[in-house]
Amino acid sequence: MPSRLRYGFSILAVALALSAAGLARGESYQEPEAFLAEVFGSKPAPKVFWLTKEIQAEASAILGHPPAQLRQRYWSDGRKSVWILEEMGKDELITAGFVVADARIDHVRVLVYRESRGGEVRRPSFLKQFHHARLAPGTRLDRDIDGIVGATLSVGAMERMARLALYFDRKSREQ
Amino acid sequence: MSPRLILLRFLRRWHARIGFAAVLFFLILAVTGFVLNHGSDLGLDAKYVHTAWLARWYGLKAEPPRQVFRSEHHDLVAANGRWLFDGRLSGEKFPQPVGLVELTDMVVVASDTALYVYREDGELIDRLERGALPGVPVHAIGSSARKLVLRTASGTFAGADALSWQPVPRQRVVWSTPAELSAAERQAYEEALEPGISVQQLLLDLHSGRFAGRYGPLVVDLLAVLLAVLSLSGAWLFLKPRHRRERH
Repeated sequence: MPSRLRYGFSILAVALALSAAGLARGESYQEPEAFLAEVFGSKPAPKVFWLTKEIQAEASAILGHPPAQLRQRYWSDGRKSVWILEEMGKDELITAGFVVADARIDHVRVLVYRESRGGEVRRPSFLKQFHHARLAPGTRLDRDIDGIVGATLSVGAMERMARLALYFDRKSREQ
Repeated sequence: MSPRLILLRFLRRWHARIGFAAVLFFLILAVTGFVLNHGSDLGLDAKYVHTAWLARWYGLKAEPPRQVFRSEHHDLVAANGRWLFDGRLSGEKFPQPVGLVELTDMVVVASDTALYVYREDGELIDRLERGALPGVPVHAIGSSARKLVLRTASGTFAGADALSWQPVPRQRVVWSTPAELSAAERQAYEEALEPGISVQQLLLDLHSGRFAGRYGPLVVDLLAVLLAVLSLSGAWLFLKPRHRRERH
């Protein structure tokens, strides 16, 4: 076999192996620490937001299921707060970082996407829909988020997390 | 008798025979397909079936629990990706625990890459993963002066609230170590910690025929052909007499 062809096959084999490994463990696009450093310049100490019975009930209404844990870590410099949340897409958890400033979403980043399909939710063209979104009455977003064909459940998960981040931000400022 | 009448009788007879013979399989396909279509709403992926025969059928090798982590008021037994924490099952796909430590108002279980912080009543307070830990893998968990201590690949660290960590010397740490289960305990826990199959997976396998092994999908392929034959013969039986009446 000519060496150029062998070289091509080797590259293809490595690419396939890497993509298979990526699918198996989920695609990690940015480590939470890197996301925090990008937002704040350095990683601040985490703060803790406790989910009281009332907050658990509202979070359940937003998510459609009870929240997984009783305390939520977040990071804040007073004006901006960062919430790194996880929610089930179709079969796997999606990890996303939400930056909230002045009760509006400043920006969103998908940090880990573990589903085999629907990864379009990490694209900036989709995520920019959340820019400046805020909570309307009834803890809904003040706008409709356009869906993506083949990623309906991931889009739903992103929207629920956005609402939860805004709700947590509001309640954390009241506490 | 005209050839057309012979064909009509033949089709009518075989349409009924095929329909009757495959009724059970078609019902299974219809019901599993219907339920799978609403799988997310029904939370099927989070529901598991735990029976010994099903695990054997799937070739899952049940790993019997051997050790228990005990603190003053709590215990944890793990096997087959499942935790039995104070007699309460924690769920599926859990990692192998490294240890358990009881502090004031909380109990912390460590795996090599995460910490699970529970309330005294077993409610999960928080799950801390690699980014929130001072180092991974976690080799051991212990306590010292009412603080949680982790021995990791990057050193030994202590924290009061499992949020902030400071390096500490390894001396005077009480490390969590497992105890061997007795034969009777092992048997009792083995049943409770049977490996499980998700309901979604089970329905998918029933629907595709994979549940029956390597030839199952071929049977489902045959059923698909029979369904096509039934549709075509049914359509022909429905339309043909009508055509004749229309001609008269």
